[in-house]
Parts: sequence; structure tokens; C-alpha cells
Amino acid sequence: MEEDWKPLLDPVRHGGFSHKGSTDSLDRVARRPFHVEPRNIVDEAPAERVTAEAAVLNSRVNYYGRLTGSSDRLLSPPDHVIPCPEEIYVYSPLGTAFKVPGGDGGSKNPSIITIFAIWNTMMGTSILSIPWGIKQSGFTLGIIILVSMGLLTLYCCLRVLRSPKSIPYIDTSDWEFPDVCNYYLGKLGQWSSLLFSMVSLIGAMVVYWVLMSNFLFNTGKFIYNYAYNVSMSDTDFGTNGSERVICPFPDTDDKGKNDSSLSALYRLSDSNSSYHGNDTALFDHWWSKTNTIPFYLIVLLLPLLNFRSASFFARFTFLGTISVVYLIFLVTLKAVRLGFHLEFHWFDSTDIFVPEFRLLCPQLTGVLTLAFFIHNCIITLMKSNKHQENNVRDLSVAYLLVGLTYLYVGVLMFAAFPSPPLSKDCIEPNFLDNFPSSDVLVFVARTCLLFQMTTVYPLLGYLVRVQIMSQIFGKHYPGFFHVLTLNIIIVAAGVCMAKFYPNIGSIIRYSGATCGLALVFVLPSLVHMISLKRRGELSWPSALFHSLLIVLGVANVAGQFFM
Amino acid sequence: MSSTAMKKKVLLMGKSGSGKTSMRSIIFANYIARDTRRLGATIDVEHSHVRFLGNLVLNLWDCGGQDTFMENYFTSQRDNIFRNVEVLIYVFDVESRELEKDMHYYQSCLEAILQNSPDAKVFCLVHKMDLVQEDQRDLIFKEREEDLRRLSRPLACTCFRTSIWDETLYKAWSSIVYQLIPNVQQLETNLRNFAQIIEADEVLLFERATFLVISHYQCKEQRDAHRFEKISNIIKQFKLSCSKLAASFQSMEVRNSNFAAFIDVFTSNTYVMVIMSDPSIPSAATLINIRNARKHFEKLERVDGPKHSLHMRMR
Repeated sequence: MEEDWKPLLDPVRHGGFSHKGSTDSLDRVARRPFHVEPRNIVDEAPAERVTAEAAVLNSRVNYYGRLTGSSDRLLSPPDHVIPCPEEIYVYSPLGTAFKVPGGDGGSKNPSIITIFAIWNTMMGTSILSIPWGIKQSGFTLGIIILVSMGLLTLYCCLRVLRSPKSIPYIDTSDWEFPDVCNYYLGKLGQWSSLLFSMVSLIGAMVVYWVLMSNFLFNTGKFIYNYAYNVSMSDTDFGTNGSERVICPFPDTDDKGKNDSSLSALYRLSDSNSSYHGNDTALFDHWWSKTNTIPFYLIVLLLPLLNFRSASFFARFTFLGTISVVYLIFLVTLKAVRLGFHLEFHWFDSTDIFVPEFRLLCPQLTGVLTLAFFIHNCIITLMKSNKHQENNVRDLSVAYLLVGLTYLYVGVLMFAAFPSPPLSKDCIEPNFLDNFPSSDVLVFVARTCLLFQMTTVYPLLGYLVRVQIMSQIFGKHYPGFFHVLTLNIIIVAAGVCMAKFYPNIGSIIRYSGATCGLALVFVLPSLVHMISLKRRGELSWPSALFHSLLIVLGVANVAGQFFM
Repeated sequence: MSSTAMKKKVLLMGKSGSGKTSMRSIIFANYIARDTRRLGATIDVEHSHVRFLGNLVLNLWDCGGQDTFMENYFTSQRDNIFRNVEVLIYVFDVESRELEKDMHYYQSCLEAILQNSPDAKVFCLVHKMDLVQEDQRDLIFKEREEDLRRLSRPLACTCFRTSIWDETLYKAWSSIVYQLIPNVQQLETNLRNFAQIIEADEVLLFERATFLVISHYQCKEQRDAHRFEKISNIIKQFKLSCSKLAASFQSMEVRNSNFAAFIDVFTSNTYVMVIMSDPSIPSAATLINIRNARKHFEKLERVDGPKHSLHMRMR
């Protein structure tokens, strides 16, 4: 027996997953939820009346629904007869009518999901460079800088988030930050925000290439050594014992610049050719971190970059979460096993320890600018937050969690680094490099990260392609050869960096400071000041503070080049 | 054919897929089973066992779009189909791409009508108007109406534009039924008198099978222009529920502190709905009034001559 109660109007809309320049890891379900504000129609007030057309259509739909089977679409209302969402009321048997508001497609997420999405998106490979950054700026100063940078970038992020709201008379519900810059600063603003966003994306892709070469090298080495039972001799300077920590480039320059030109002498430790027989020499010749592996990766990744759509790769964002969680676990385990080795020398450096306050601190601020960078897609990410009034709170909580994660990893790795035999200066820009290839736990970390990066790399490539191609040619996929050319350029940049300058710390800090200059410091502050000025609300303290932010951004970039 | 009076037909014709079955289902509250959506044209006429306006039987035919075998069958059965027709309702799909063909089939139907039932009334429905853009509807309908009027000569055809998604379908069929009631003006006068005597706010007269409003009287302006269709839909839904229990709907009373509404069988072809806004008048009084009026209106129906279709059953 068919049930007598039939649903009124089917509110399913077919919303699409739109790539608006952000990799959203959460699925957008087509069905909209109801958010109803109760309005009473029992009263005689004529303004509260449901429109006659909607009411009689409701009557018809109710009746026609009884005439056919429940799955039969013969008498279903077609889209063009259903009134617009503002006229749809849901009747309650108690006499009140609820209005269904029209909303944009896509489901709304509770705060916790939004916070997690932001955390997930912000957690990048910069986590590997935080211990090095803390080392570069000194332990105490490093912690102070981490907290301050977190607060500064949070403030600028809030400015970015609030910026579309203060535009009067225009519907800005689908605007991203470049559109806001276009409104306030014209074409210059739009182009500069896009250009600097490109810098961060391409910088990330180059870093990924270097890291992937690194991880592939170490993974291959581990498997080779395990298969052929080659024992790792102590060619690398490091600690003895079960928890081995190595210093790949000892005796480096005093200024702490791990310039690979200086460590060219130590390339021998990479190849190990003179210490093992000819077989290993052959393997080491064909499996070299800087000479051959970057080229092997081309075979794997260039085809992936040429895919027309990246939605397949978006499914794997969970790998990133797993990798970060595993890294946290790994760091905790290592810290427990190695113990803490901290000594506080405030301004002078010793052989083994670094001072607490160092002049190289801009290097850390550069790294942190990229580590806390989400300003180019925060508006899109926050759009799906269910309670929009909690946006500020949710963003702050997300930043707090990100900051705590970085702080935890950075402080623990720095503190646990075995300083009596090794100098703190040995901490590598990629802290996994401080562990030998034979370490099983670290091998697992490297493999996880390798997989994760292989899936994120095409996503980043897709974002770069979409942005550049839309600006130059007007469409996302102008032609196979255009896209191939772009991909070859990006891959070539990665390969060159991996071969000649595989120092991810430097790449991260330069690209971070540059893109942060525009998107974190200058543009949000400028836009905010202009909007206040147009409303006549610009006060002296506010103008001073925001100008100071702009100066800080410029100083950040300058510091990268001079320090 | 039954030995008693020859049943007069209402022919519902039109191209396959023009919406006749849906229309029939909506107007007559018939359940459409899923497999009635056929892949080909109707091989045989679809009789509906509905008594419409007394003795009329609804016949549904697909017209056109058949292959030569069907064409022959159609032409050989033609006289059978078109004899004793009281009403021809022809449905045109406004989105049809084969206007010439549609007109051709329509004309052959008209020829057959002229030969076999020259007194039949012809109605043309231009259907599925919701698929046309709102600002173009009047224009397109006027064009079609002119063409149809021209083609139908010497028969007079009445044209309506309809869609199941607005009030036009209900209004068109109400107008058709109105024109089929013989002494409708007299009915209306009597209805007005009745309403004034019993001090009703509004009195409606429905056709029994379809709950289409034949005539109504209201003593003051009502707010909802769509109330007839809504009432009709509600009652038809209730009839559907009743039929599931093999019960038939007879009467209903709805009462609250502001009004009382009575729906009851009236004559053999009609239902009446009486709305009283004075709650102090007891139900029994109104029901007695309705019962007495029933006798009077029955007599009215019986007054006219024997050739009238409404009268068929009494012979």
C-alpha cells in the first residue's frame, strides 16, 4: 500500500563542483539542506500570505503525485514551473509556513569540518623545514617568531576574509581575493595578486620536485641495501648507537648557509663508491639524488600533469593528513628515544650550540610566511561554513592548531637533536635528511610523503594551468600543446633546482617571502585602508598599523636577500 | 452496444504523446499505471468507464503517427468511432514539429464528424503551453486559434490554451462542461436564489465525475482566485483514497469557529458545496435546506426534452 504522505516539492538542485582555484577536499553534495525561519500564516496580515501561484501549484503537485506510482516521473513538475526559492513555503500542519531560502549550491559544513579543512590545506611540506628555521633564528627567538608570525598572518587572513563583505551595492558572494583587488586597485591589483599567487604555487612545485627526488633516492637506497644486505658504513658523520642521527654536511660555513657548492666535496658520501665494490658503484652512479633521479621523475610526473581534469587526484588528500600525523608520531618517538639536549647560550655561539638570538631570523620568517599561507583560497574554503558568524573564531582555532603543530615538531626536533656529538648547525632544511637511509621508521615516512606528493603535484599543476591559461587564453584547456609547453617549463624548473640547488629551506623562504609580500602583507592592508578611506573611517592608528604591516612585508623580502 | 439508449460519446483525440492520458487522468482522477505509457500508438480505443455528465462515456483515441496498417484499420473503423459523438475534444501539442500533418489529421476527423455526428460540439485544446515562453504564449495561441477556426468551417470550434501546470486546464474543461449543460442559465438563477434563501456565503455546483465547477454564486469578493481548482484537487485526492478502500465519496462537512462548509450529492450529475460564514446556524438546518433544494433541481433537469443526453437514463 502506497504511503499517503508525499513530499511537497523536490528541492534537489544539481550543483557542480567548481574549481575556483582551491583544492577542496570535502565533497559537495548536490542536495541542499533546509534552513527555515518560521513565519506564521494564520494571522490576517496580508504581507505574510503565501503567493497564490505557489499555493495552487502545491495543491496540483500534491494531487498529481497521487495519480501515478511513486517512481513514475510522468506527472512530476518540470524545473520551469517550480517557483523560485523565495516563493517556496513548507506548510506545517499547525498552521505556520516556513520559507525555504535560496542559497548557493553545496552543503554547509559544521565548524569542526571547516577547521579541519583549513588545517589540512595549510599543512604542507614546510613542516619539514621548521626545525631548520628554528635553528637559523635561535631557539628562543624562533619560538617568539613562530607565535608572532602566526598572529600576524592570522590577522591578515581575517582581513582577506572580511574584504568582500565591505563592498557595497554589489553581490560579492562568489568573489575571490583577486576580484576584490580588482575592485579596489584595478587591473594592477588583480594581476599582482594572481602573479604572486603563481609564485607560491610554482615555488611549491619546485620544492615538491626536490623533495620527491630526495625521498625516491632514499627509498631506492633502502630497498637496495636491504635486498643486497649492504651494511651502511659510517661514512656519514653521525652518532653511534641504535638511534642514528647523521650530519650529512659537517664543517659547513659559519654563517650556516648550507650552500651545496661548499659541500661538493662531500658528495662522496652520497655515492659511497670508494667504499663498496663495483656493483654498488654502478647502482650509485645510476641512482643519484641530484644527477639522475630528477630525470626519472619526469617519466612519472609529466604525463600526470597533462591530465585534463585533476578531480581524480583530489580524492587523495587524506594521504596528506596521514603523513602529517605520522610525522608527529615519528618526532615524538625520536624525541623520547634521543632525549633532550638543550643548552641556552644567549648571544654567543659555541661549537655545538647556536645562540638563542641570531641574526639569521629572517630565514625563519620567510619559511613561516609560506607555512601559514592560505590567503589565496581562504574565502572559498570559508564559504561552506554552516555558521558564517563563527568564521573569525573558526579561522583563529585553525591557525592555533597549525601553529601548535609546527611548534611541536620544530621544538621537539630541535631539542632532541643529539648535540654533544653533533652540532645543532647540522639540522637540515629537510629534517628527515638527518636520519640515515637505513632507518625503518623514517623510510616509512619518506614513502608516505612520496606517495602524497605524487598525488598533490598534479593538483598544483592543474591550479597553475587553470589560472595562467584563463588569464592568457580565456579558457582552462586551450590546447594540448599549450598545456604541454607550460608543464615542460614547470618541470624543467623543478629539475634544474633539484640538480643544482636542492636546498628546500632556501626555496621555501624566498618564494614564501615573495608571495607573502603581496598576498599576506601588502594587498590585504592596502585594500583595507582604501575601503576605510572610502567610507571616511580611516583613523591614524589604523593607517599607521597597516602601513607598518606593509613595511614588515618588504623587510621580510629584503631580509631573505641580505641575511 | 447496449439495448437501452445509445450512449453518447466524448471523443478525446490527438497525436500520440500530446498529453491526452495525463489530461484524462488529472480531470477524471484516474490512476495511471506505469505501463500505460505505451511505446506505440493506441491500437484500440481507450474506453473510460466514467459517466460524464450523466450518460456520456469518454473515449480516448490516438490520432496520427500510424503506419499504413493502422491507417487502414482506422479508416475501416471510422464510422464506428465517430457515430453518436456528443463532444469532440482534439488536443494539439504546441511543441509539435509537424504542424501540417497535425492539421491534416484534424481535418480528416472533422470530415468524419460531419458525416456521422454533425451536431457534435468541437473543442480544440492547444496543450503544453508551459513549454512556451510566457511573453509569447498569447501570440502563439492567437495564431493557432485563427488557423483552427479557418480549417474547421463549417463546424464551429472553440479553442483553449492549456497546460497541466497552471489553471488553464481546469478552466478550459470547466468551460467545456459549462457549454454542455443544457439549461445552465436557469441553473444559475436557481442557484442564486437558493444561496440567498439559505444565507450562504458561496455556493458551488460541481460536475459529479470530474468536480469541475459548473456554476457558482458568491455574495462577496473572495480572496483566492484559485479556490475552485484547489477544492477540486482536494476532493479528487480524497476520492482516490476512498476508492482504495472500495468506498465511494458521498458527503463532507468541515466546520470551525469562522465558517461551515458542506459538500454533498445534489442531482444525478452534480455535487453542491455550500459555505456558511454564520456559525450560529446549526448544520441540521443547512442540510435540510440542501435536501429540499435537491428535489427542486432534479425537477429542473428533468424539464427538458427527451433528446437531451442528460436525460438518457430516464427513458
